[in-house]
Amino acid sequence: MSDMHHEEKKYSIFQIAMNLTIACLISGVIISGVYYFTHPLAVKNAEMLLKQSMRELVADADDFKPVEGHENWYAAEKGGETVAYLVPGEAKGYGGAVKVMVAVSNDGDIIDFSVTKANETPGLGTKAFEDDFRSQYWGKSSDTLIVTKDPKNTENIQAITGATITSRAVTEAVKEAVDAVLEFTGGE
Amino acid sequence: MKNSLWKVFSKGIIEENPILVLALSLCPALAVTSGVDTGLTMGLTVMFVITANNVVVSLIRHLVNPKVRVAVYVTSIATIVTLAELTLEAFAPMLYKALGIYLALVVVFAIILARAEVFASKNKLFPSFLDGLGMGVGFTLAMVAISVIREILGNGTILGFQIFGEGYNAPLIMILPAGAFVLIGYMVGAVNLHLQRKERKMKERDA
Repeated sequence: MSDMHHEEKKYSIFQIAMNLTIACLISGVIISGVYYFTHPLAVKNAEMLLKQSMRELVADADDFKPVEGHENWYAAEKGGETVAYLVPGEAKGYGGAVKVMVAVSNDGDIIDFSVTKANETPGLGTKAFEDDFRSQYWGKSSDTLIVTKDPKNTENIQAITGATITSRAVTEAVKEAVDAVLEFTGGE
Repeated sequence: MKNSLWKVFSKGIIEENPILVLALSLCPALAVTSGVDTGLTMGLTVMFVITANNVVVSLIRHLVNPKVRVAVYVTSIATIVTLAELTLEAFAPMLYKALGIYLALVVVFAIILARAEVFASKNKLFPSFLDGLGMGVGFTLAMVAISVIREILGNGTILGFQIFGEGYNAPLIMILPAGAFVLIGYMVGAVNLHLQRKERKMKERDA
């Protein structure tokens, strides 16, 4: 380290500690002050984004209501009747947890899904969140959710070249959500 | 005087480019340069943080006890990044979502702490501001250069637009970190060659 302040002044350990304490205190005060003002806005934004992403998944629904007894579950309603469930799913990917929100129709078919949280390789694993890959899931049911590397197999999910782990994680997370809905509706 | 201020700003762009010459912050240069959009966003974020932090460090340089200066600088960096995070979350939620993890990572970038320690802690406000800005510009340019090459070669696209058509069989290695290492190696070599040649010319002129 550089020796630029080499005046060789003696500081007591108390002075040194106070210096750092004051720095942290100021930092804490500034952050909490800003947080006080931005947090309500952030919460409102998060809610808005959630509603918006749900609307993208189930376009024809007119209202979304939380499902009782299940955290983060939403029922998409149209004219008072439930047309689909929006359910979270999670699996371990290449860079930590991959969290998805899956729109499942009443009879257990996948309408669409969106990735809510992931830390996959940009440009590689993130391809699994784009339309090309996602469209493979549309209209599929739980038992065909298997990742394959055979390009001729159109019944199952085609893995992305170089991102098999991410492909598997997404599939697993979606499957978890679909199975949970099947259990919930009890195959009505 | 004007000339030396320009020097303070411009040295970060090529002569002391954070990635290609100082070889600091190589981690983000590998991690987020597989696409131009993420590379550019990361570059701009770092440019903002490094400039703001240089200003703060320069302002408090006489108040900080030298024994704990690094800890204080890190606190300052963390505060600035947190403030940026909170503000983005409240006013630009889409951008916040896109930046996600990168934002928090900026706290530990060596280049930011290095500029605080090497430059801002010994210089007045305005030169420190210019130093941060110049280093930020150099960082951003290097990130964009790396990500443009990687996205074109590794994915056949630029900012998501196809340029080679559907038939292009992209070499996967360019998207993976290993390809980035090879590419950065060549770029470091190129910049070194350029600087050496420049130095030789200067010497010849002096002689």
